[in-house]
Amino acid sequence: MVKPIDNIKKKRAEAVNRIIGKGYLSTKRVYVGMATCEIAAGSKEIMQIFEEAVRKGLTDVYLSQKGCAGRCNLEPTVEVIEEGKIPVKYGKVDPERAREIIERHLKKGEIIEEWVIK
Amino acid sequence: MAEKYKRDDVVAARVITLCDGPGCMHKGSKELLSALKDGFREKGLSYRDVKVNLSGCLGMCARGPVMIVNPGYTIYGNVGKADLEEILEEHIIKGKPVARLVIEENHLYNKFFRVFGDVGFFGKQMRIALRNCGIIDPESIDDYLALRGYEALARVLSSMSPEEVVEEVKRSGLRGRGGAGFPTGLKWDFTRKAAGEKKYVICNADEGDPGAFMDRSAIEGDPHTVLEGIIIGGYAVGASRGIIYIRAEYPLAIRRLEKAIKDAREHGIIGENILGSDFSFDVEIKLGAGAFVCGEETALIHSIEGSRGMPRPRPPFPSVSGLFGEPTLINNVETWANIPVIIMDGADWFSSVGTEKSKGTKVFAVAGKVRNTGLVEVPMGTTLREIIFDIGGGIPEDKKFKAVQTGGPSGGCLPEEYLDTPIDYESLARAGSIMGSGGMIVIDEDSCMVGIARFFLEFTQNESCGKCTPCREGTKRMLEILTRITEGRGMEGDIEKLERLGKTIKKASLCGLGQSAPNPVLSTIKNFREEYEEHIKEKKCRSGECRNLLEYYITEDCVGCTACKKVCPAGAVTGSPRERHAIDIEKCIKCGQCLAACKFNAVKTA
Repeated sequence: MVKPIDNIKKKRAEAVNRIIGKGYLSTKRVYVGMATCEIAAGSKEIMQIFEEAVRKGLTDVYLSQKGCAGRCNLEPTVEVIEEGKIPVKYGKVDPERAREIIERHLKKGEIIEEWVIK
Repeated sequence: MAEKYKRDDVVAARVITLCDGPGCMHKGSKELLSALKDGFREKGLSYRDVKVNLSGCLGMCARGPVMIVNPGYTIYGNVGKADLEEILEEHIIKGKPVARLVIEENHLYNKFFRVFGDVGFFGKQMRIALRNCGIIDPESIDDYLALRGYEALARVLSSMSPEEVVEEVKRSGLRGRGGAGFPTGLKWDFTRKAAGEKKYVICNADEGDPGAFMDRSAIEGDPHTVLEGIIIGGYAVGASRGIIYIRAEYPLAIRRLEKAIKDAREHGIIGENILGSDFSFDVEIKLGAGAFVCGEETALIHSIEGSRGMPRPRPPFPSVSGLFGEPTLINNVETWANIPVIIMDGADWFSSVGTEKSKGTKVFAVAGKVRNTGLVEVPMGTTLREIIFDIGGGIPEDKKFKAVQTGGPSGGCLPEEYLDTPIDYESLARAGSIMGSGGMIVIDEDSCMVGIARFFLEFTQNESCGKCTPCREGTKRMLEILTRITEGRGMEGDIEKLERLGKTIKKASLCGLGQSAPNPVLSTIKNFREEYEEHIKEKKCRSGECRNLLEYYITEDCVGCTACKKVCPAGAVTGSPRERHAIDIEKCIKCGQCLAACKFNAVKTA
């Protein structure tokens, strides 16, 4: 009989493979906060903007949602983890900022300092 | 993971923790591990002297492969095979960190310090219950599995007897995070030893304090952790069914829990023969209608059974006779979320965090007059000042701090002199408040303490189930007195009446709701008695919040434009055009329209 611990390790390896298969190893990973509070602040629309950008050909980006990190007064938040750079979290992301983030950060690799949560 | 930092200190002096998350794995952490083996052989090091750990994602993927080396908890990034040799020689053998590879930061056992890029907010935090919140996609079981999710459960099922699990939880010193702080391990032990044909495990997610959202965020951000805790609890006490009681007004949390349960079932983690073991367990969700009293465990059980949500006297405690009269283990969401960590990192590590009697961390929802409102998780023993000023960033507009309210409608208001109180169950109780489930409301000089007390009492009075007289009638009378004080009709002796009523309600009420309902009133009387006296004797509210106590008057700045006179609905303003106007206090209904209408800033209040 396979022991539960071996079973879970196998599951973990499979899960990692599936995540990587979804593009986890892209140079940029983008996480949009999608807890109730974030959604109330407008994060659904922000998510749609990023999804649309990916649909329209934005490549090398892994897009995912995440839960609440606790920065209620700065929501919606969007986190960008870029290979070789310090990960940043943008606060109060409205549709306009989202489009700017796509254009300047995701396409050109420029960190938009003034919106980064400090 | 975050929890690695401290535990290794207890175990061994020299430790290498290699990040094994997907990011680092891709960048060669696997090769690094085999290179490490070679290095050990060449340098004659043994694994007995130097402990080697793999950890889940440390959150520094950009600098991967990442490793943490003790002594010193030095964090190295971009470690290549060639660098490894140097680290072993210089750091492990000679004890000197290799400066050029160090990722420098005041990390305070915090894996978020780089991921979030906002060190001030996260630097003093330590996340155990919320360790994955804001890190993973809560709707993906793969994300959870990748961060060693369900490994604690697998370990329990593979190599621990139920008694050993109970013992581990006992030794960890974990106490109930719902507010009362009962030792969790003891509760587990009672339920395990209780005789019953069938046993139940319940997760209390009936979060009801105004302004509190710890449980909601925990479930929305990482539902699988809660599930894993519940399944482990089921195994430990010998239950075969778990129930999550959650209020219907948390639709997203419910949806994510449903998805988590479905995914876990598909993976064989819930259901028959979990992960190939002979343990079977199922979990279902019950929705509550949002009555505050249903957070009380016996009322919650009645609600699940289909009866009216009303408490009953204890004993018998639910651990002996709970749901359908069977032994029932009931814990709060945050308590459950701590369980997988205790199993993974051990009771010794867990109990090394916190204070003597309160171990681990506590999640708080910080709200009110504070710059960074939000969810924080801090080690027990952190002071209120650190939470409000270091993490919370202080009071907006540099207003003066007045009080902090902890524990929601069951807690108390603490003034400035208590700011250095370390947070644990006993210290907060000594200061006159309670830990509670984690609500924390910061109050500045603009708020009226009588008004705050009234607000909370209005809430508990509304939520009182009406079963016992002291709570039903007593809170009603207290509310009436408070209302008249805030409206300027306070009478001599009202403070004493409030105190007497409050003490009686505390002593005589059936359940926790009534026993704690007077706390906000009693603590504000204790700490801000002069404000009550001002309201009653001088009919004055220093914050200006009690509108009925304001007196409007017109200053010399008045140019006689007649704007105020035109808007006054009570005809209280008198005066001719181009002459200074006046307000007749007898007629004034204090609606404030004159103040809003004046363009010359000539209408004032006192």
